Amino acid sequence: MNAERTKRRLIRRETHSSRAAASIAAAAVLAAGFLWLASEAVLALLGGNALLAGPAQLGRWLAGIPAATLPAGLMAAGAGMALLGVLLLGTALRAGHLPRHALDSERSAIVADDDVIAAALSARARRTAGLAPGQVTTTVGHRSVHVRVRPTSGLPADGAAISAAVASELASYAMDRRIAPRVTISREGVLGQ
Amino acid sequence: MSQTNRTRNRILLALLGLVLLAAGALTATAGVVPEVSAAWTSTAASGLDRSSELLATASLPGAARSWWAVGPVAGLVLAAALSAAWLASQGGGRTPRAATDVDGDRGSTVVDIGFVAACVSEALAGNRQVLGTSVSAWRVHGTTGLRLGLEARKGASPREIADTAEELVLGLDQLLGHPVPVLVRITSGTRSRLAGVNRVR
Repeated sequence: MNAERTKRRLIRRETHSSRAAASIAAAAVLAAGFLWLASEAVLALLGGNALLAGPAQLGRWLAGIPAATLPAGLMAAGAGMALLGVLLLGTALRAGHLPRHALDSERSAIVADDDVIAAALSARARRTAGLAPGQVTTTVGHRSVHVRVRPTSGLPADGAAISAAVASELASYAMDRRIAPRVTISREGVLGQ
Repeated sequence: MSQTNRTRNRILLALLGLVLLAAGALTATAGVVPEVSAAWTSTAASGLDRSSELLATASLPGAARSWWAVGPVAGLVLAAALSAAWLASQGGGRTPRAATDVDGDRGSTVVDIGFVAACVSEALAGNRQVLGTSVSAWRVHGTTGLRLGLEARKGASPREIADTAEELVLGLDQLLGHPVPVLVRITSGTRSRLAGVNRVR
């Protein structure tokens, strides 16, 4: 496998979820359930006492559910199971993006956390406008970057300059997904420091 | 960089989701439509009758009375084993060796991951942007790949750190003698939160 493909594969695996947590939970529940059923079946076969309920008892219980349960209870139980099913299906089928972006590079696969990118953009905007820490907050999403600036009261911030600085800073990161940053200057200022 | 089989995880989770969705839909419908609930009861009752009939046939000597009783047990044990195998297949692939080189019958050279980790932390010791480093080695497609974790100071430019890392990796290539796959992760962590912003630049 050549280096470029390996690099792309490493980036892909680092920026997307492996669904290991959901798989571990599902597999553990399945394994425990099947083990219990298997032990009940073996005990029934050898004529021992059931752990909780033998196969025949389980079968009768399963057949008697609609007769023994209120319709509302059936509906609630069914809705709960269906919801869990939809959640699992969603986990399996959604893209599973992690809050990270790949940075373009020659040699290695480089992946940066979104909060690192956000902190750097905030710092750049702050230095451009001469603001104190806390006056700029940045949110980095999968396909959006939003910089919120709260200028010092009485000193209007230069929105165009901040936008240009943030845009050039973001462009210099050469992320895998080109995002045009959105800069909003809050109308209410904060007390100067 | 673990070797988790992601496609299999997705397929199995999707199948499980579909089964749960179908079972849930059936149960909820049985609560609403009396015909479905009646069909459930009659199907289950006839199934129970049929299984007890089957148990009487194809008989085996001894405690296991019939092939029809042994079959399901084997199936359940197999299903439990497969579930356990799915559980055990998560993660894996980490190795303590950064690189190995076998020189015929004269022996082999092994570079321990601790050596690479020491090199990396030494090289970045004076760097104001990087607060901490971690290095691990993983099996990637038959070769060994390195994973470099760099903890960034709050507000540090990821591009600057990426360029530093790129230089560092080129140095590692010379040190190890041949290029290995490298993944660099620029993260923020507890140290980033505690160390504060580098205000003077």
